[in-house]
Amino acid sequence: MFREKLSAVKENPIAALYPTTKGWIVILYCICVTALSTVKVNGYALYLIPLFLMIPVLFAVSGIWEKFFGFFKSIFIFVAFIFIVQTLLIRSDAVLFRFGFLSIYEDGLQHAIFLCFIILNIAGILLWLFQTTETKEMTYALEKMGMSYKASFVFLSTFQMIEVLGKSSKTIMNAQRARGIETEGNIIVRCKAFFPMIVPLVVSSIMNTEERVLTLECRGFDTKCPKTRLLELKKSGNEAKAIVISVIVTAAVLIGRILLWVL
Amino acid sequence: MIEKKKHSIKEDFSTLALLTMPIAVAVNFVGSQIHHALSLPLFLDTIGTFFVSMLCGPWVGALTGLIGSLVNGITNPSGIPFALTSISVGLVAGFLARAKMFDTWWKIVISIALTSLVSTIVSAPIAVLVYGGVTSSTDSLFAATLMASGVNIWKAVIGTSLLFTCIDRIIAIVVTRLIIKVIPARNLIKYSLGNNYVKNSTSKTA
Amino acid sequence: MGTVVEFKNVTYTYPLSEKPAIKNMSFKIEEGKFYGVIGENGSGKTTLCSLVRGFAPDFYKGTLEGEVLVDGKPTTEYGPGELALKFGYVFQNPFNQISGVKDTVFEEVAFGLENFGFDPDEIEQRVTDVMELTDITAIALKNPFELSGGQQQRVALASTIVLKPDILVIDEPTSQLDPEGTESVFKIISEMKNEHKTILLVEHKVDLLAEYADEILVLKDSELIKAGPKQEILSDISLLKKNVQLPQMSILGNELRKLGLPIKNIPITEDQAVDIVKSHLAKGGKS
Repeated sequence: MFREKLSAVKENPIAALYPTTKGWIVILYCICVTALSTVKVNGYALYLIPLFLMIPVLFAVSGIWEKFFGFFKSIFIFVAFIFIVQTLLIRSDAVLFRFGFLSIYEDGLQHAIFLCFIILNIAGILLWLFQTTETKEMTYALEKMGMSYKASFVFLSTFQMIEVLGKSSKTIMNAQRARGIETEGNIIVRCKAFFPMIVPLVVSSIMNTEERVLTLECRGFDTKCPKTRLLELKKSGNEAKAIVISVIVTAAVLIGRILLWVL
Repeated sequence: MIEKKKHSIKEDFSTLALLTMPIAVAVNFVGSQIHHALSLPLFLDTIGTFFVSMLCGPWVGALTGLIGSLVNGITNPSGIPFALTSISVGLVAGFLARAKMFDTWWKIVISIALTSLVSTIVSAPIAVLVYGGVTSSTDSLFAATLMASGVNIWKAVIGTSLLFTCIDRIIAIVVTRLIIKVIPARNLIKYSLGNNYVKNSTSKTA
Repeated sequence: MGTVVEFKNVTYTYPLSEKPAIKNMSFKIEEGKFYGVIGENGSGKTTLCSLVRGFAPDFYKGTLEGEVLVDGKPTTEYGPGELALKFGYVFQNPFNQISGVKDTVFEEVAFGLENFGFDPDEIEQRVTDVMELTDITAIALKNPFELSGGQQQRVALASTIVLKPDILVIDEPTSQLDPEGTESVFKIISEMKNEHKTILLVEHKVDLLAEYADEILVLKDSELIKAGPKQEILSDISLLKKNVQLPQMSILGNELRKLGLPIKNIPITEDQAVDIVKSHLAKGGKS
């Protein structure tokens, strides 16, 4: 049976959760982020920091610890930049530190922590969802929720197309180099190499599209009937447990938040 | 006989359009990789969206923008709110294409101005409200510099965004026009707006 | 045997083009026969295939005069997708026939059946059988994009055959393949012939057509200049003057005949040529 070999067997019980379940976890997590972002300690949204530490923990227990730093590198750079700019640019009366001409103001630091940890938390939980769920699993789950099969077709073929175009662009670059067009060097040289590459690449892809349309027509893509899906997404059995735990945690956070208001 | 062409969304989303969208997203992707690799202040990530909007109209263009942002978001979700900007680029370019606003140079100038303006109107609030005005992209450096020298945050963000988006759009539209010029007419006419770019197409469809 | 496809005075012109790609063509395709289509590049072979399947004028637009009938009904009157189970269509470029949404050859072959809503168990069975037939079982779990051209074309054939079409239209399937790939593709096509499918094959390699086809259609400058049983067409030496390629054996037979050898029937395949040589040797031995 080939069908059984199609979906990768996930050993890890958390990574193996059903995509929709993971989607709910993401939504509940975002609710927690929003609730905790309103709790200020001396004006700082400090609770977001321990909450963010949950993300590497979640990566570790989902068995994708080794992916954490690889993918977070670009997010960290993005956030670090925002952090620096916010702390340095937002001015107020209270100066915390002063290094020569640079001053860090209280308002700036407060806003920087608030903003950066919201971004880190939400980006982190989304990254967890994307890294534990294959694209075809995700589109399958969305299709079950009523998304058109054509939408999932476009989505899936986009990933393949990026790979294919990436490969062809390298081929064209090599061909250009062989013909003496410079593809390396300073920014202007590389920019100049970009345009003669992108034009033929798109044109040839578009010309190929015609046969691809007809091939799809032959394979019944346009035929109006219910579509079969060979990929079977099995529930791991822990879905109910995971949802209950997440709901309890979220409820606890919300109750805590409300109590802080009331008290 | 002048036949008034009605645009149906169903016709816009032909199988041909569905197969063209992934190509457009991939072109956006290649462009944005160059932007990152070279740390250019230009994003170069709307060429594909312009291309698809000019051939298939606003709705296909908007969806292409959305999918592109989601695909980028899978490896770095922190930029997902800017999906709204990508969607607006597709929409505006598509409506302009329907109005044949890409055929003469003065119309193209208006189109460049309009698309840049709309992108800025959509992206500036996102930049200010979600990211505090500055992101890690190179054009943000300019905004940050302006802000540091005391310029109001909104003015700084809108000013730099408008400048760089304009240059970005000029490149996108020039490249897209170039691509469409090279594509054979027999391929073009199969797109819902393709006839706009074929010379004498009306005289020969006897 | 019934007629499955009929051309009645068909003239077809692509949009934006002044000259018709097919001129005044009339012929019938009969059930269960294998038709080979030959002719120079640009003589209208691919357009002929598109017309048979109804891609022209439905997808390519343009103007059609006359009628193309499938089972007695004009192709223009069939709804979208209606002909998909009747015809299988294999294109020249194997790369363009990959759906682009499947990670494995198995799923790629199953794609059509999924679209028609077949039962998963039946899909598994059919795909397994077809992969066996087309010799791609060993690569069932590979990514279709990472295959060689010959393998990709076999996957394209499998994806087509798995839908069990009555008629197979195959447009130069081997033009981009090496000899090994060509041979494997022809093996599959001849297998289809044994299953009594109606086959329309455009192919430059006339030697292979001489071996496998029943009937030959000869196109030149958008017109059908000759049609009939392969023995008759491929041994017609006068076609050489019209730039039509003929099997090497026909040319050899003709040259030998010119040299004075009493060859009654020009051979078109190696086997026939061998038979002729054998019989001559036998006669020569006696005299």
